[in-house]
Amino acid sequence: MPAARAGPASIPAFDRQFFASADLCTRMGTGAVGGKAQGLLDARAVIAALSLDPAWRIAVGIPRMIVVTTSVFDEFMALNGLGDLAESGLEDERIAYAFTRASLPAEWLGDFRAIVEEVRQPLAVRSSSLLEDALHRPFAGVYATKMIPNDQPDADARFQRLMEAVKFVYASTFFAEARRYRRAAAVGREEKMAVLIQEVIGGRHDERFYPTVSGVAKSYNFYPVGTARREDGVVHLALGLGKTIVDGGRCWVYAPTRPGVTPPYATVGELLDGVQREFWAVRMGAPPVFDPTTEDEFLVHASLDDAEYDGTLPLVASTYDPGSDRLYPGIGRTGPRAVDFAPVLKLRKLRLNDVVQDLLGRCARAFDAPIEIEFAVATGHGGDGEARLGFLQVRPMVRSDVAVEVTDAEWSAGTLVARSDRALGNGVDTTITDVVYVRPDRFAARDTQRIAVELRAVNDALVAAGRPYVLIGFGRWGSSDPWLGIPVAWADIAGARVIVEATLPAMDVEASQGAHFFHNLSAFQVSYLSVHHDAAPGIAWEWLDALPAVAETDHVRHVRSRAALVAKVDGRTGRGGIWRPAAGGDEGET
Amino acid sequence: MSTQKPFNSFEMAQEQFDRVADMLSVDTPTRDLLRWPLREYSFAIPVRLDDGSTRVFRGFRVQHNDARGPSKGGIRFHPLETLDMVRALAMWMTWKCAVVDIPLGGAKGGIVCDPHDLSQHEQERLCRGFVRQIAKNVGPVTDVPAPDVMTSAQHMLWMLDEFETIHGVKAPGFITGKPVGMGGSLGRKEATGFGLVFTLRGALKELGLRPQDTRASVQGFGNVAQYAIELYQQIGGTVVAVSSWDQQDQTAYTFRRVQGVDLAELRGITDRFGGIDKDKARDGGYDVLPGDAWLEQEVEILLPAALEHQIHADNVARVRPTVKIVAEGANGPTGPVADQVLKQRGVFLIPDLLANAGGVTCSYFEQVQSNMNYFWEKDEVLGKLDRKMTAAFLAVSELARKENLYMRDAAYVIAVSRVAEACRERGWI
Repeated sequence: MPAARAGPASIPAFDRQFFASADLCTRMGTGAVGGKAQGLLDARAVIAALSLDPAWRIAVGIPRMIVVTTSVFDEFMALNGLGDLAESGLEDERIAYAFTRASLPAEWLGDFRAIVEEVRQPLAVRSSSLLEDALHRPFAGVYATKMIPNDQPDADARFQRLMEAVKFVYASTFFAEARRYRRAAAVGREEKMAVLIQEVIGGRHDERFYPTVSGVAKSYNFYPVGTARREDGVVHLALGLGKTIVDGGRCWVYAPTRPGVTPPYATVGELLDGVQREFWAVRMGAPPVFDPTTEDEFLVHASLDDAEYDGTLPLVASTYDPGSDRLYPGIGRTGPRAVDFAPVLKLRKLRLNDVVQDLLGRCARAFDAPIEIEFAVATGHGGDGEARLGFLQVRPMVRSDVAVEVTDAEWSAGTLVARSDRALGNGVDTTITDVVYVRPDRFAARDTQRIAVELRAVNDALVAAGRPYVLIGFGRWGSSDPWLGIPVAWADIAGARVIVEATLPAMDVEASQGAHFFHNLSAFQVSYLSVHHDAAPGIAWEWLDALPAVAETDHVRHVRSRAALVAKVDGRTGRGGIWRPAAGGDEGET
Repeated sequence: MSTQKPFNSFEMAQEQFDRVADMLSVDTPTRDLLRWPLREYSFAIPVRLDDGSTRVFRGFRVQHNDARGPSKGGIRFHPLETLDMVRALAMWMTWKCAVVDIPLGGAKGGIVCDPHDLSQHEQERLCRGFVRQIAKNVGPVTDVPAPDVMTSAQHMLWMLDEFETIHGVKAPGFITGKPVGMGGSLGRKEATGFGLVFTLRGALKELGLRPQDTRASVQGFGNVAQYAIELYQQIGGTVVAVSSWDQQDQTAYTFRRVQGVDLAELRGITDRFGGIDKDKARDGGYDVLPGDAWLEQEVEILLPAALEHQIHADNVARVRPTVKIVAEGANGPTGPVADQVLKQRGVFLIPDLLANAGGVTCSYFEQVQSNMNYFWEKDEVLGKLDRKMTAAFLAVSELARKENLYMRDAAYVIAVSRVAEACRERGWI
């Protein structure tokens, strides 16, 4: 964390002449600014110190932002008497509905109105929670972010949408996932929400508004590929809004030290299948179905054809030439497009990677910790003109510093339940007796949504009983695509201390990529083992099946060992495993 | 036998206008037009009483000026109502609507009566009788009445119903101050008090004072005062004294707690007339002082939000030197002599026609909503109210600063200029 933190008092109060004001960050209220806003405030000095080569034609800045501090949240809760309802455990929709019906404190309404009267471009209304900041622990993706088009001709309509978005973010503090998350994190302290209102970085293309490139960059890589080192970091890029990346959708992943290296796809055909096919944008123009209680009310999922029509593809795509079975950067020829960012990363038409590397290094030094940043880049039509990189977020990555070693003897021990040389995390755990696993004999990709529901019930029971567990399943955990893995939210499996991501011949996908998901793994210091079905030794299914079941559903089995398992991950080598208890203690509980 | 002329509100309103007209060098036709109402209606209202007898009441409706839009103004029930009083109030409504820049003119109505002497049924017949006499000369696009002294939302509903029956239409925009759910607007009850604080907030900013470093003393504990206190406390201010009328003792008391009054606590011990229970207040740690003690508290802000003529020649010297702002929540709470004294002392005054215009601004919003028959969320009403009031405050204070005018004069200058300009543009003069 930077030595001198910018507190709320150092931020000027909101000025109704929003664009005329020289202040890029202003605040409403006198409370705390929350984790996300604090990160950006801390990053201001880093951004100010950047001196980029003008020839790169890329401007870096934090988008203009207004922080609605936690004191406004407190006033809102008290004014509307929402405390009891918030803790009532009602369904998310009911909570969201009640919150959107409530009134914001009159003191601030004129300021919110001034925003929509001054600003006519899409706004991102983001959560910035107090506990995120207090615990130095990012609650990635737990609370809502809502994008609003803010383009209706009528200021009343724009005002109404902004109010609904702010109240929706407030409501998300009390959604089931957020409550479970706090419970799993054993956070007994009261949560409060600040809200960040920022202009969305991007350009308008007919009825869509989106950045040409969104990215998440980490200064430390949990899944180094090939010769890349963990310290090299990793960058995820996507066309359109960053929602594609944080939701774990298909995006382009590379090491910033090796921007030209293609991920290890076996063939070009496989690459074409694995890259981004759709992107997210803010929906402009005609209003969609009215539903203020959903996060993506104003978002639209568009295709690459739309992007090509919009003129955003030349900078981010290559074209496949079937004759040579090769990809050519750009879209100068006909053929299938692949969003591989080759014009940026290989041809350096935009010096994005240089800027990102610079930012990563500076932020990591300023925060004195591995960090993760989010950004979005707007370009002119066809990638011409000066690009604008909006710095959206910076947060520290939590990583254990304890030195752990997995010896060669342990690595080949007969008592292994599972092992992985691509393990993530660092540490030893000798307290776990419970194992929850998806039964390989009953697993089918079409059932993943049902499996997620079954897992949630088992998880909730174990969390309530205070029992940590090992979780074993197939495909990408937390995938938004149910055909690529089990689409759990983090809170559904939040009690797991060790997670095993296995494959089956029928579910053989690359390891998980969801940025929020991995951020949570890191934040809660959960060990993560990725085990391929061809690996030897594989998972000790016979041993697991022999343990008596504590609970069993159609697809999930919960078993308990009499003595504790040993889970160990060496964060430096990536070796990790789970070992059965010493002899005599493994018969299971009866 | 005294030769002193009785106080006449209309003459005072005309004098105020003359002074501003002089400052603006307004031409004679414009003066002649604006010194007097455009139209006046004076009529008899025969009402059958419950005992079978008939009593004839006197009613007035004065439309002072409608160059800027349909005229707007309340209907008062008062035993001492006079046509001159109604004329003065109609003129003030013209200026008030103009200063907050809402597209309305000024009007006022009144019936000479004491509703306490009338049953509900008799009041209903009186309301319907009033509308029968004036129905052809008022309406949603001509003249829009509202509640005022001793009239309520119920009276407005009876009047609306009669109006709609006569015209054979549904016209919720005919009248404002209706109950929420029956054509009324959310935010109406908060509007005047909140509006007062929106202008006060502007004044604090202009003077470079932080709300949390200020204290206020409030006269009155009615609707306006309560909501003004609520929002002022919300922005960080401390209210140290509140005065209220005691129905039983027929006198006012000031309730003081130096560390700050607790609004919820006071509301809990207040009767339906806005009178605070003095025994319970004393138990709660409040000093119970004479009614006019609110004026002499060591505070930065005075909020007279009860009656007219409360700071006058005889008591203005008791206003502490700490006072920096007087925001007039009531109509005409500061007499002319006191006004001069405050001006000389450099007190920042937010004049009544600006400070308490939140009520009529929200009435305008209600009229708009009623005409559309589509009603807004409370956030929308109060957000717009803030923008209107703050913009009006900034316009007045900017003119005052630029032309070195007293705030009251600046407000009048803006209002009169706008109305005169509208008359000119219409080709009336």
